Amino acid sequence: MPDTTPAAGRPSLRKRLRRLPITLYVGGTLVSLFVLVALVSFVWTPYPPNTLNLFNRLAPPGTPGFIFGTDRAGRDVVTELMLGARNSLYVSVVSTIVAMFLGSLIGLSIAGSKSVLQGSLTRFVDVGIALPGILTALVLASKLGPGNTTATLAIITWQVPVAARVTIGPARQILALDYVEAAYGYGRSKAYVLRRHVLPNISPLLIVLGSVMFAAAILIEAALAFLGVGVQPPTSSWGRFLNETQSLLEAAPYLMFFPGVAIVLTALGFNLLGDGLRTVLDPQQARSGLA
Amino acid sequence: MLQLRNLRVAIDDQEIINIAELDLQPGSRLGLVGESGSGKTMTAKAIAGLLPDETKVSGSVMFGGQNLLELGDRQLAKIRGKRIGFVFQDPARSLNPMMRIGKQVSEAIRLHADLKGDAVKAKVIELLQQVQLPDPEALVRRYPHQLSGGQQQRVMIAAAIAADPELLIADEPTTALDVTVQEEILRLLISLSEQRKMSLLFVSHDLGVVRFVCNQVAVIYGGNIVEAGDIDSIINRPQHRYTAALLATNPGMPKDDNFSAFIGRRLQTITGSVPAVGRFPSGCRFRNRCQHASEKCATTPPVTASSPDHRYLCWHPAQGGQS
Amino acid sequence: MTSSTTPLVSVEQMFFHYPRAKITSGGSGWTLQDISLSIALKSTVGIVGESGSGKSTLIRVMCGLLRHQQGTVQFNGKDLSEYQDDGANELRRQNQIVFQNPRRSLDPRMTIRRSLTEPIRALQNRTPDDDELVTSIKRVGLGPEVLSRFPHQLSGGQLQRVGIARSLSVNPTILYADEPVSALDVSVQAQVLNLLMDLRDQMGLTLVMVSHDLGVVSRMCEHIVVMRHGHIVEAGRTSDVLSRPSSDYTATLLKAARAASLERS
Repeated sequence: MPDTTPAAGRPSLRKRLRRLPITLYVGGTLVSLFVLVALVSFVWTPYPPNTLNLFNRLAPPGTPGFIFGTDRAGRDVVTELMLGARNSLYVSVVSTIVAMFLGSLIGLSIAGSKSVLQGSLTRFVDVGIALPGILTALVLASKLGPGNTTATLAIITWQVPVAARVTIGPARQILALDYVEAAYGYGRSKAYVLRRHVLPNISPLLIVLGSVMFAAAILIEAALAFLGVGVQPPTSSWGRFLNETQSLLEAAPYLMFFPGVAIVLTALGFNLLGDGLRTVLDPQQARSGLA
Repeated sequence: MLQLRNLRVAIDDQEIINIAELDLQPGSRLGLVGESGSGKTMTAKAIAGLLPDETKVSGSVMFGGQNLLELGDRQLAKIRGKRIGFVFQDPARSLNPMMRIGKQVSEAIRLHADLKGDAVKAKVIELLQQVQLPDPEALVRRYPHQLSGGQQQRVMIAAAIAADPELLIADEPTTALDVTVQEEILRLLISLSEQRKMSLLFVSHDLGVVRFVCNQVAVIYGGNIVEAGDIDSIINRPQHRYTAALLATNPGMPKDDNFSAFIGRRLQTITGSVPAVGRFPSGCRFRNRCQHASEKCATTPPVTASSPDHRYLCWHPAQGGQS
Repeated sequence: MTSSTTPLVSVEQMFFHYPRAKITSGGSGWTLQDISLSIALKSTVGIVGESGSGKSTLIRVMCGLLRHQQGTVQFNGKDLSEYQDDGANELRRQNQIVFQNPRRSLDPRMTIRRSLTEPIRALQNRTPDDDELVTSIKRVGLGPEVLSRFPHQLSGGQLQRVGIARSLSVNPTILYADEPVSALDVSVQAQVLNLLMDLRDQMGLTLVMVSHDLGVVSRMCEHIVVMRHGHIVEAGRTSDVLSRPSSDYTATLLKAARAASLERS
């Protein structure tokens, strides 16, 4: 007599939505919020971009007309944050996605290559990680000029070896498992196995990696802006804003909180979103969830 | 020397172990036999005080006049290692891969015996000899990965008996080992038990192994002891239907080399499978899978003794209660 | 093309080592040395040995998953290397493996339905419909409810049955089972062994079973091959080899197995 656990019926949509992890909601909300802000900035900001209110420089928060105050040149903080969202999100998201894609592709290929080659290929990747990212960024800036594209390329170059390196180990572990051997046993090619067996099974790792890399990208973008590699004034960026506030610590110490909190909340949002996605996509957790 | 009375273990309000009575005599070797999910490992952990924090335990585990369940962590830690030794299943995982063999064994000695310096080193060598490891002087400087599985397990046993415990609890100590190595380790356990008058609690899923090592056996199913007593009596004349079924499903080896009669003969099976925790029926836990069950079985059967050293809990015993 | 006396699988003086092994002049480094054996159609052969004997490696070479460096391995009268392109698919279809650990042999991210369809998709280029899958799953004693489940929702015994169903879905000629019941409880072992016996008889399978357990092999296999350190120590009919072993090693194995086994009649 076959023994089977009873199949669960499909509960209502409301119930399924309630079972979703809270990290998904919180993270999703934060991320959507910032994306929304960035998008809205194209059609409306409290003040037109780059409006210098020379009579209201370094106005504290709460000054009529300037909820969060103004910066050294009199630019409204809220406007700066909204405009900065565009750049920071653009650079971090694009660079992270491209770096993850390329990095995991390289990592998977190395994991699937002949064992005699793997050692040397992995060393190549290690060299890539060892290359100082800032130097690469400066070299790129001298060739291509500063700006968003340069910053994005620099971050990608920096992050790809990391993504690759992190992928190799787990991919190799999966390749050693029986179900992969079974797949070879019924004639599947290595490429198929990498795509259909290894990749889905390392996806939790990749999602977490993506969230961490995104947070890093935002910070790197800020550093590059400071070095003059990123966007130049008058284009706004959270990173540039943050760095400007450093010299204002005595005059206006509160100012750094605004871009700082924006960066932290966005990074947090992506982290939580990533965690929630990971839980939802895991067949062991999502009983009758979205699956 | 070890007495379990009304031992109840629950996790998340689900009772997983309920043992009314279990005894281990000094110098005796008791096999605790069950399949996965039977609660045998949990029982061993309950005795050792190694259950996870979320479990609720009640009842008594009397050892040397003390109820182990009532002792605090520090007192338990003193007893563990000194008076009760442990050997676990996978030696590769229980030994620290970064520590030399000599150091690991000497740690066990330092913790529980009052020896210092050279006396410790001498004791290490002595222990390694007692577990029949060749060339102990060279072995102490080696790391675990340089030893075979069987040698690693001997090292574990050496560490476990270092303080000359009265009781040794072994949880599936030979499951991960080759069959020839297994025989050697089992013989070692028997001889250590006899020489040192050390009791042995041998937890296993393998009735054949238990028959080789132990003189007493307790069969556990669904957290309950269903049959216990002298090993030969139980294996030759099992009373509880689960015990009988377990024996019947065991492939075993043919008597008198009669291999041709063996080949191709189907094995007996037990219908259904072990229910998940909390899904066991009331009364006799085995009744949903038992061909001989009746309405009576909805109430828990009493302890019946077919002979002084053979007790079982079954309304319809296999041998009709005859010993 | 093959007469009834041509063995299904034939191995002659085969040597195998893993890719990065160093072969010394003394002969160490080889995982398999000087292996010669043959498997007759519809026979049941047990390959026994302890860890390091090479028994698991042997079946992988025999079914073509690993390539040997010396000697010949033939399937159905043809050398394995001659199975190319479509022939390669046909070779894979006729040689299937059941693995030891049921939890590792199924992709945890694929439903049972998906795992079952994989071999047919890969080897026959079509997706089987649910009727075919239900027949397949019923044949191994499971109900159609398991099709939409994930591996973590099934027990070890159920998963092993799924593994068997998966390998049989393409109607192989020979089934290699690598310690198919070692990871299962004794009572579940009996169920799965009986299932293998029934399926073998129903489908006319040739069954090659690797096991460290002499008791299991003496129940299932009329022929036995004893291995040690990459060599074949002895081979023949199980009843002959085990009642009158010609090698001391086999005798030692037997003695150890008997010591820790129950005597049954």
